[in-house]
Amino acid sequence: MDPQPEPVYYICGDCGMEIPLKPNDVIQCRECGYRILYKKRTRRIVQYEAR
Amino acid sequence: MGVAQDSSADPPKKNKQNRSNDGKQILHSAIDKEFLAAPIKSATDKFALLPEFLKVRGLVKQHLDSFNYFVNTGIKKIVRANDRIVSGVDPSIYLRFKDISIGEPSLTMDGVTEKIAPHTCRLSDMTYSAPIKVDVEYIQGSHDQKTRVEKKGVVIGRMPIMLRSCSCTLYGKTESELAKLGECPLDPGGYFIIKGNEKVLLMQEQLSKNRIIIDMDKKGNLNASVTSSSERIKSKTIIQMENQKIYLMLNQFVKKIPIMVVMKAMGMESDQEVVQMVGRDPRYAALLMPSIEDCAKEGIHKQEQALAYLETKVKRFSFAGASSENDGRVMTVLQDVFLANVEVCQDNFRPKCIYVAVMLRRIMDAILNKDAMDDKDYVGNKRIELSGQLISLLFEDLFKTMIAEVKKAVDNILTKPSRSSRFDFAQCIIKDSITHGLERTLSTGNFNIKRFKMDSKGMTQVLARLSFIGCLGHMTRIKPQFEKTRKVSGPRALQPSQWGMLCPCDTPEGEPCGLIKNLALMTHVTTDEEESPLISLCYCLGVEGLEVLSGEELHTPYSFLVLFNGNILGKHRKPQHFAAAMRKLRRAGKIGEFVSVFVNEKQHCVYIASDGGRVCRPLVIADKGISRVKEHHMLELKAGVRTFDDFLSDGLIEYLDVNEENNSLIALYEEEATTETTHIEIEPLTLLGVIAGLIPYPHHNQSPRNTYQCAMGKQAMGNIAYNQLHRMDSLLYLLVYPQRPLLTTKTIELVGYDKLGAGQNATVAVMSYSGYDIEDAIVMNKASLDRGFGRCIHMKRYCAVNQKYDNNTQDRILRPNRDGFDSGPMRVLDDDGLAAPGEIIRRNDILINKQVPIVTRGQFKSALHDSEFKSVPQRYDGPQGESCVVDKVALCSDKHNNLCFKFLIRHTRRPEVGDKFSSRHGQKGVCGTIVQQEDFPFSERGICPDLIMNPHGFPSRMTVGKMIELLGGKAGVSCGRFHYGSAFGEPGGHADKVEAISETLVRMGFSYDGKDFIYSGITGCPLQAYIFMGPIYYQKLKHMVLDKMHARGSGPRVSLTRQPTEGKARNGGLRVGEMERDCLIAYGASMLLYERLMISSDPFEVQVCRVCGLLGYYNHKLKTGICSSCKNGDNISTMKLPYACKLLIQELQSMNIVPRLKLAEA
Repeated sequence: MDPQPEPVYYICGDCGMEIPLKPNDVIQCRECGYRILYKKRTRRIVQYEAR
Repeated sequence: MGVAQDSSADPPKKNKQNRSNDGKQILHSAIDKEFLAAPIKSATDKFALLPEFLKVRGLVKQHLDSFNYFVNTGIKKIVRANDRIVSGVDPSIYLRFKDISIGEPSLTMDGVTEKIAPHTCRLSDMTYSAPIKVDVEYIQGSHDQKTRVEKKGVVIGRMPIMLRSCSCTLYGKTESELAKLGECPLDPGGYFIIKGNEKVLLMQEQLSKNRIIIDMDKKGNLNASVTSSSERIKSKTIIQMENQKIYLMLNQFVKKIPIMVVMKAMGMESDQEVVQMVGRDPRYAALLMPSIEDCAKEGIHKQEQALAYLETKVKRFSFAGASSENDGRVMTVLQDVFLANVEVCQDNFRPKCIYVAVMLRRIMDAILNKDAMDDKDYVGNKRIELSGQLISLLFEDLFKTMIAEVKKAVDNILTKPSRSSRFDFAQCIIKDSITHGLERTLSTGNFNIKRFKMDSKGMTQVLARLSFIGCLGHMTRIKPQFEKTRKVSGPRALQPSQWGMLCPCDTPEGEPCGLIKNLALMTHVTTDEEESPLISLCYCLGVEGLEVLSGEELHTPYSFLVLFNGNILGKHRKPQHFAAAMRKLRRAGKIGEFVSVFVNEKQHCVYIASDGGRVCRPLVIADKGISRVKEHHMLELKAGVRTFDDFLSDGLIEYLDVNEENNSLIALYEEEATTETTHIEIEPLTLLGVIAGLIPYPHHNQSPRNTYQCAMGKQAMGNIAYNQLHRMDSLLYLLVYPQRPLLTTKTIELVGYDKLGAGQNATVAVMSYSGYDIEDAIVMNKASLDRGFGRCIHMKRYCAVNQKYDNNTQDRILRPNRDGFDSGPMRVLDDDGLAAPGEIIRRNDILINKQVPIVTRGQFKSALHDSEFKSVPQRYDGPQGESCVVDKVALCSDKHNNLCFKFLIRHTRRPEVGDKFSSRHGQKGVCGTIVQQEDFPFSERGICPDLIMNPHGFPSRMTVGKMIELLGGKAGVSCGRFHYGSAFGEPGGHADKVEAISETLVRMGFSYDGKDFIYSGITGCPLQAYIFMGPIYYQKLKHMVLDKMHARGSGPRVSLTRQPTEGKARNGGLRVGEMERDCLIAYGASMLLYERLMISSDPFEVQVCRVCGLLGYYNHKLKTGICSSCKNGDNISTMKLPYACKLLIQELQSMNIVPRLKLAEA
């Protein structure tokens, strides 16, 4: 495993807070206690094809 | 469901008001001829009742009512009946359940209890359930120091909760509150969420219990059968007439018993009395004669003799060695099993005797008059078992099992000589068995309840979420309980009695055709009602009890027997008077609104029913043909001061079940009512169900077309729910630009299809074009597709779990290496090793970069080295060459506290050649070709169709409704008003007439017949014919080429037969089947056959012995073939054989059959 796993931010499904999580952290919002988190959208530039 | 209301009721009314306003303006504006020509409406328009009904009852009210009944009443009854656990060791130690209740749906995790919303359960694969709480009273301690303790709110398990039922969090919530909980306000509820899956308990159709059914068996013998069901026991009693003699058949007896012996055993020793009870008519006596003689021949005259006779016929317990077990068994069988629904109080068998006599009489009636036979397919003889009843059975079984387990555990503790801790009864209550039992049964759908001899599979289904309407249709579906009656047509045929109760159109095609049914729009299914007050009421209204009646009096002319839920109460001398009184009380609301009173003139019986599972529907009451609902009532309804329940309680409307319908004369329209009319239909369109209600002008179509549409409407893509983008279904089809149909029906507005549509209004030209439109194919306009016609989103869910193992190891997810040889497929991964939303993902890209420890069992391990992991990345297996997008990635923890990832992959598809489309009239077709708009025909106004349909689709299908839809749609777009096409709506003004539509068309500058002057897009010349063109609502069906397209050169093989695999998912080959083989043989293409069936399939080289004809083997050392039975290699030939053939030979050999090959020179 990486020496220092950088926390990745997730979004709470209920209150919308950004929560940093490290591997083996409990999946729970720290603000409201909601147990479903969503991944944030990619920060890379994506180009979609509209046809 | 208070959903469809707000918008649904209004538009038609507004129209009407506008019209009347127009009427006032006539004086100083142009004369509205349409208004003047309209007939004066004498009858009140009762349509407004329908939305009101649905507001009160909802579309899935049957399910909700039944579950509510279980939660509020049923569960308490079960607990009251089994409220004690008494220790077998010390009877003074007991536990008593005082009360039971179901709490709020909640989740207990790490000791914290929090309320949960259904949508959370869906997303994180949980069960939406609530704790079952009991109040108990029990004895603590033992021997000398006993104390009685009371405890409240002890949780004994968790009950899955039906959505929108009274114990659901969504109950009574407003639209905005529902939205906050992530729920769609249009969702009907009525299903359960088990482990994240939405499960529906289908309604079960069965023959009614506790009723006498007369029918003919295969041998032509008359049978009177009763399926008795009391709280304690279920049994089936058959009285059969065979060779003029009457016998009793009961599974407790080894053979048929002459009925007179049974009567004598029950104390009816006098033959004369039996004859009197059956009826004094000499014809009855003559028919009974052989049976009486038969009994006399056996020498049975007295009760003791009869009992002794029966004692020899009763089934013995094989295990109970002692005869004491079997002594007096006949008496208990007669008391408890034989006609179990008739109760025996204080050894008084008289009610049972009378019941038998009535059964005999019914058999004889059937002999004398064939009409008296019962029809098993008659809806009045059917009961529909609902989710509440099924869950109640399940719960009762689990509860009793739990009590037995607790008793065992307590006895175990008490018999232990030395106990360390103090004995506490409450701690022995086992919590998990009920929870797991309920959850398992609901998730698998296998109801295996030994206690009630119930073993049925497939009772629950995953709710179809393909389209909103498919989901609704799933909730109204009725499944038959017994599917034995496959070959006969009777149960499949349309029954006249299902008018208004079950939808005549909505049934699947093929094998289950006609067996699976759907409820009509206004049908209600009853739940059980308290019996005792009704029984005493009957006696008060002049029913003479059985005790005071002699056998002779039973069937005196002009007096009718009164049967309550199948039990004989007594008789009444003025049956019509009695029935009228009962009905009056019902209309006044003194007795339940669903109690049915049915006078059967033929059988001289009055049937009163209050049992659950009857289908019934509301009707307007009419007095001598004059409707009780008047204009002012409807005005009050409009003003909101009167609700549907007020109509019921004021005696303007009542519910009739199928039997009682036979006592009434129902007029379809108020104008048609005569003086004999007792009821008036609320609205004829309610005889169709939810799905058939979507078809515009269904009454103009050939009926099978409507049935086809009912099947296809469920496959149409569109909007699923308001929360569709927040859902994580395993597969979701959505339409990008769904529209509401231009030609609507009232049902569409009521169910909310106009809000969650599944289709688009396409301008259709009915003409021939290019030859790519044969066989129902559709020619599509490329520009329309560019504009978004038929474009859909396909969303698929992929799951991954970060598993924890027994040896304290767990999976791990690695950061992707951004450069290196495998960085390509890891493109879409984020720093956490999961695919990031928004990324474009292609086939074989990695979704999750997971590693699994190699050793997952054995002793504990703390930290693992990198080499102890193996890489198992999950790859995306979507279609080749398509670009899909990661839509959403959710993280949650599952039941075992494992980390769970869900990826939602979105793929937007535009229609391509081969995609399936259909209109709402059972006219499906695939896209045949896509043509540039430049080449498309266009009208003088420049209107260019979206698709072209071949006119050959019409003559044989006779879907006139589709033509009217086109006309109405065309008039609709040009004048700016949604036109209606409700079923049978023309007389009531709920469907626009063709005449009126044509007038609108002419006014808007079109031809009255909907045909346009068209130029060819290719030559620019006008076409020789006028083209029928206009908008038709088209649905895109879920069958798309992209999902089906498949071919292979070479690929995987099945290891057993070494033949190519089957199916697209396994990259299988395409089979040259038996019929194809036949063709090739007939044609004589032997080399092709040889190539297909052997060379390209499973060639195999074998060694065959020319002497014995058996297969040998190849010895690699000696480089020769050797026959293992001849023990030499002298006569071995090498030949090629399909491997499957070699396998067959060997399998036959293993079964002791020797196939020998005889070789000849080729």
